[in-house]
Amino acid sequence: MDSNPILGVHEVQKAFGGIRAVDRCTLTVAPRSITGLIGPNGAGKSTLFNLIAGLYRPDGGAIRFGGVRIDGLPPYEIVQLGLTKTWQIPHELKNLTVLENLVLAAKGNAGEHLTNLFIRPRSVRSDEKRLRARAREVPALTQLESVANEHAKTLSGGQKKLLELARALMSDPSLVLLDEPVAGVNQTLAASLMDLIATLRRDGRTFFLIEHDMNVVMNRCDTVIVMHQGRKIAEGTPATVKADPAVIESYLGG
Amino acid sequence: MAIDVGILINLGFYLSIAIVFAILALGFNLQWGYTGLFNAGIAGFFLIGAYTCAIAITAPAPPVPGGLPGHLGGFSLPFPVGAALAMLAAGGTAALVAIPTLRLRADYLAIATIAFAEIARIFTINLETITGGTIGILLIPRPVDYGPGQPFLNMATIVGIGGAILLILLLFLRFVAESPWGRVLRATRDDEEATMALGKNTFRYKLQAFALGGAIMGLAGALFAVTLVYLEPVGSFAPAVTFSVWVMVIVGGAGNLRGAILGAFLIYGMEWLSVQLKDFAPEGVKDTIFFIRLMIIGVLLILLVLFRPEGILREKKRTLR
Repeated sequence: MDSNPILGVHEVQKAFGGIRAVDRCTLTVAPRSITGLIGPNGAGKSTLFNLIAGLYRPDGGAIRFGGVRIDGLPPYEIVQLGLTKTWQIPHELKNLTVLENLVLAAKGNAGEHLTNLFIRPRSVRSDEKRLRARAREVPALTQLESVANEHAKTLSGGQKKLLELARALMSDPSLVLLDEPVAGVNQTLAASLMDLIATLRRDGRTFFLIEHDMNVVMNRCDTVIVMHQGRKIAEGTPATVKADPAVIESYLGG
Repeated sequence: MAIDVGILINLGFYLSIAIVFAILALGFNLQWGYTGLFNAGIAGFFLIGAYTCAIAITAPAPPVPGGLPGHLGGFSLPFPVGAALAMLAAGGTAALVAIPTLRLRADYLAIATIAFAEIARIFTINLETITGGTIGILLIPRPVDYGPGQPFLNMATIVGIGGAILLILLLFLRFVAESPWGRVLRATRDDEEATMALGKNTFRYKLQAFALGGAIMGLAGALFAVTLVYLEPVGSFAPAVTFSVWVMVIVGGAGNLRGAILGAFLIYGMEWLSVQLKDFAPEGVKDTIFFIRLMIIGVLLILLVLFRPEGILREKKRTLR
């Protein structure tokens, strides 16, 4: 791609005790792409996502999002810049309803500031009203409509995955990190989830996703990055990566 | 036929103290029920509120016979000012205790607060020139006083004032905690990491909730000072006060404002009742009735945790339209 990368990871390192989970990893993600991140268990994929989202602090290296250094920023500031992540194991807010989960994920809600409740009651009301309406229209919600006012803890595994995506979209991100978006989701729902992601990409969003389902990776991603032992070992179109001897050796198997 | 005024005064005493506990429970409910912050030093914030208010509103102390130390004070400020100062002092202290510990794991907050409460109590016992030591602070003026000949009117007035404060606090908390701000608190309680990843500075929310909860406990302390009209540090602010408030919120229903109030009236009611029943109890039970009460509370807690862990009034589901 000729345009500047939306995400640039440069020589990023993270060790837990003696284990180098991410070892001087360098990679880029092109804007408006669906980029897949694959690799064997323990390759450092989820750790890398947590580093990018600010949940872990890197030991070294630089992470740029839209040209801006984001390594070292707290996660809530990174979200404000337009980068959101979903979780491999759903982190739904259990005792909040589906709609509450969504409204909470939106940015710039005046009522979330204690002082505004007293000094700007009108903005508090109008923001809340606007965001509730938006939550109802967030694309992934169509299949959660019937449970919109149920506690998130009552959802099924597949519904929680949907909620993860819907919630990520509420913050109107330009880049979404998806950690195994279709793991444990039935084929039909997985296909419609990936269709939705394809549509959103056409609208200008970028998706960077970890996935073990090779069907999804080969058919849905433009670019695939392969990680092994904390580093990038290959990158290219699904077809080239599939044929790469190093990838076959370490991940896909002979 | 006149109803025995003694009974009414006694009942008024129950109500006035139950109201104080209800306010404490509402403060703890904001911290723990809404935000998941486990405060193990409720008694300490309660103490700071009570003493701040008492020192602010008492008249210059007359010379105490026997050369006792007296206490800091003599400012004779009106009760609303004393209560506001109590809230500021307790809320400010809560923020100071919370700042270094809120970033750490939840356990550290509990350890820090329980230590803080005991330190506060020991200082209060020993800083005689400020607090009056073990004698405490006497002759705290009532907000409205009908004189020593009118115990019933005085009691009724304090119950009225306490009830009004409780009602205003309930309305205030409904406005503040059942708002988008309160929703972030509940999200932080459910999953702090996820809430942070959704763009919320959870540290700021935890600090605000903890300080506001501490200020509410300070308000309870101020009301307690003018209800009893004297303060002594040894029993009134012992760790048992903290434990009682926990039980009240757990029994009543964490995350539910009315639940916290119900829990306070219920649990303190059992304590009060056990005192009332002492005189009527058969000879063998008389001396053990307090322990029977503790056993009943213990069994009640076990049953509740087993069969209704969310408390009598469970947290409401917030339906958004």
